[in-house]
Amino acid sequence: MRDRLMLSMRASHAFMTIFAVGAVLCALWGSATGDSFYLRLGTEALILAGLAMSVELLLGYGGLLSLGQALYFGAGAYVSALVLRETPSFWLAMGAAFGFTLALGIIGGLIANRVRGVYFALITFGMAQVAAKTVYNTRELGGSDGLIGVPQIAVPLGPYSVSAADPVAFFLFVLGFMTLLYLLLAYLLGTPFGRVLTAMKANEKRVPFLGYSIWRARMVAYVVAALVAGVSGALYPMLRGFVSPELMFFETSGDALIMAVIGGLGTLVGAFYGAALITALKSVIGSWTEHHLIVIGALFVAAILFMPKGLIGRIRPRAEAILGGKRAIRAEAQEEHP
Amino acid sequence: MSDPAMHIAGIGISFGGLRAVDNVDFQAERNAITTVIGPNGAGKTTLFNLISGALRPDRGRVELAGVDVTGFAPAALQRAGLARSFQITNLFFDLTVWENLRIASQVLEPVSRALLPVAASRRALARVDALIERFGLEDVETDLAGALSHGEQRRLEIAMALASEPSVLLLDEPTQGMSHSDTEDTAALIRGLTSDVSILLIEHDIGLVMSLSDHVVVMNQGRKLAEGTPETIRANPEVQAAYFGSA
Amino acid sequence: MTATLDYIHFILAPQMLNGLALGVSVILVALGLTIIFGLLDVINMSHGEFYAIGAFGALALSWLGVNYWLLIALVPLLMIPVAVLVERHLIRRVYDSADRHTSTLLLTFGLALILEDLLKILFGPNTHRPENPLPGATDLFGIFIPTYRLFLIGIGIAVVLAVAFVTYRTRLGAMVRAASFDANMAGSLGVRVGVVYSGAFAFGVALAGLAGVLLAPIYSVFPTMGHDFILMAFTVVIVGGMGSIWGAVIAGVALTQVQAISSLVISPVWADPIVFAVMVLVLMVRPQGLFGRLGHA
Repeated sequence: MRDRLMLSMRASHAFMTIFAVGAVLCALWGSATGDSFYLRLGTEALILAGLAMSVELLLGYGGLLSLGQALYFGAGAYVSALVLRETPSFWLAMGAAFGFTLALGIIGGLIANRVRGVYFALITFGMAQVAAKTVYNTRELGGSDGLIGVPQIAVPLGPYSVSAADPVAFFLFVLGFMTLLYLLLAYLLGTPFGRVLTAMKANEKRVPFLGYSIWRARMVAYVVAALVAGVSGALYPMLRGFVSPELMFFETSGDALIMAVIGGLGTLVGAFYGAALITALKSVIGSWTEHHLIVIGALFVAAILFMPKGLIGRIRPRAEAILGGKRAIRAEAQEEHP
Repeated sequence: MSDPAMHIAGIGISFGGLRAVDNVDFQAERNAITTVIGPNGAGKTTLFNLISGALRPDRGRVELAGVDVTGFAPAALQRAGLARSFQITNLFFDLTVWENLRIASQVLEPVSRALLPVAASRRALARVDALIERFGLEDVETDLAGALSHGEQRRLEIAMALASEPSVLLLDEPTQGMSHSDTEDTAALIRGLTSDVSILLIEHDIGLVMSLSDHVVVMNQGRKLAEGTPETIRANPEVQAAYFGSA
Repeated sequence: MTATLDYIHFILAPQMLNGLALGVSVILVALGLTIIFGLLDVINMSHGEFYAIGAFGALALSWLGVNYWLLIALVPLLMIPVAVLVERHLIRRVYDSADRHTSTLLLTFGLALILEDLLKILFGPNTHRPENPLPGATDLFGIFIPTYRLFLIGIGIAVVLAVAFVTYRTRLGAMVRAASFDANMAGSLGVRVGVVYSGAFAFGVALAGLAGVLLAPIYSVFPTMGHDFILMAFTVVIVGGMGSIWGAVIAGVALTQVQAISSLVISPVWADPIVFAVMVLVLMVRPQGLFGRLGHA
């Protein structure tokens, strides 16, 4: 297989299929037992997977470390909450969150893409801090309490309607939504734009000499990542009925980074596995001690030291070998021992 | 008479007080190999950077087929038909050979296709296949560029520069660090390229320059010392004094 | 006229002096950050936690009856071996990865999570208020200022001068700067680059620990105390120019003064967003900061 990106993407699709099937089975189990706590938790994990996917796109494929993706996640959540409190319409809330994070992403991109490397990381961090503290201080946005009382809505899907109050149905809806987002991003990475992005990560200095504008590619990646984070965030108040400034804090951006890294940078699907794992860990550890940070931190450090490609990155070569034959193994071996 | 492939008109740049390149003037004819030579520090690499857009000249012009492209950014120059290779191998080491060429040739596709799947860009794909065959990279097309031998990497470097179907190809010491037999193969390969493209070469290896070039420009201390056919350059006493070190 | 003078005398001047005390502490933390970045090219996201460890270390040792004045020297010294271990066994392992900035930043971020929770496990989530070793206030030209803050300003200035002297005026400093400028070259000149890296990291961490000890008596001590403080320190480092000692000093004083004075006029809750906006603005206009970089200027 001479096109490794396509091959690795096929392998990712296989893992996505496994994930989706597993998630549907969980939903069936939840429906049978009448559980709502774990289904809601699972829905939250899926929403966070959306945020982690935006990190995947930027860092995993473009090599751009953003420490402020929570800015767009939180912005999407707040806009969605504000709209829903006035008019409980799913599509209106989604449209507003999309439009707002698009505008915000363009502004943020124009600011952040003036600089590179470590300065890009710090400027994204600073922007998110300014926004988070501003929201925190703004009484009209509920200040430190956030906005509560977001009504539970029904999502109209053609002839059907999914109630956000129904844990099984809403879980399946968010699963479908995130799968769609995943497929869109996978498609985007398979286009010439996606190629320029991966080339940029591999060797940024060479790209302009092939006739491509680095700035443009970074800008598109940044805005798309902002949109992905924004529409994911827009689902949050539909699930939980409230938004709080914590959604914009660095802790949220950091969580997304941890999920993407542990799941596997450069695999896209790793975002789902990472989000599921971290959410589950927090819940399990949280049930007997409040010290989940030390476990997650240790796991994260261990991943960086011993498994820099993450869970999926670690097992993906086998899937690639099955899908692409021996040639894939050869390229993979070269990467391990250059 | 048609325009030359490239016209360098009185180009120059200073760093601090030093005139690194001073009023250099020459033309590169179509479908020919024009070579710039000169001792170390003569300003060859700076000249190359001026032409390829890495540096912006203080004075003078660069024209591609009669069009002024002075001061174009590298990406714009590339799109205007000027491609370059690098002296130090500069590839996408984590991508396969095929992917390297794929990214280099997709610039041929119109922007309107930027959001269609890669598989849809047939012209770019055909270009990749042609280059792989021409440069003898069939056996390694699925290998990572970082895992190739030095000679293969140098060939891939040239192939990538050629992938966008440029009108002028700038080659910066293409045989740098190659074995003798690799050098000869590469020279033959470069010779064969002139049917499609005009070549401006920077080269250290005098033997190679003399056998390969149609036209030679000699630089010394930032200035053009002489130009002409390899024979006239070899016979020029000034060049011999400055470059070959014999009085 | 008297009203204006009174305002300056009783409101503005004390506020500025308090701001200076805070500024000195921020500078100590920022110095460590900027040295580690300037020499190792590492953004140390766990720096705020090392600062908190310094404060908790002082607290724990004072419970054991160690004299406060001894702690000022003891705690930073105790942190050196810890820092050397961290540099040797964690950070160094990812130096050579494809993108050093990203991998070291992520690694130290993970470390920060671990250290913060460790402090919570050892000391609980509550806030502690250590005893002030210099209670009371001093009359300085008619301005009453807590004696401890005056001491803090004095010792801070002394430390900054000592750091600058070592870095710019000694053979050791020259070696360290050479290693940051070109590790290979310095290595071939006989500088033991590995030792320099460990030493520089330990030195930066020790400075953070010192800041923790010094600030413990006037600020509360709690496990997440590093969070807000480190953001300010990051801003100082960025505005001053990453890796520049004098840049950090000037930016540290300037930014804390802006914060102190502006909090007289507008609600102090807006101080943070303003400081971060300054950081974003500086990054946009002059990402290398207002001053050069250590070893590069």
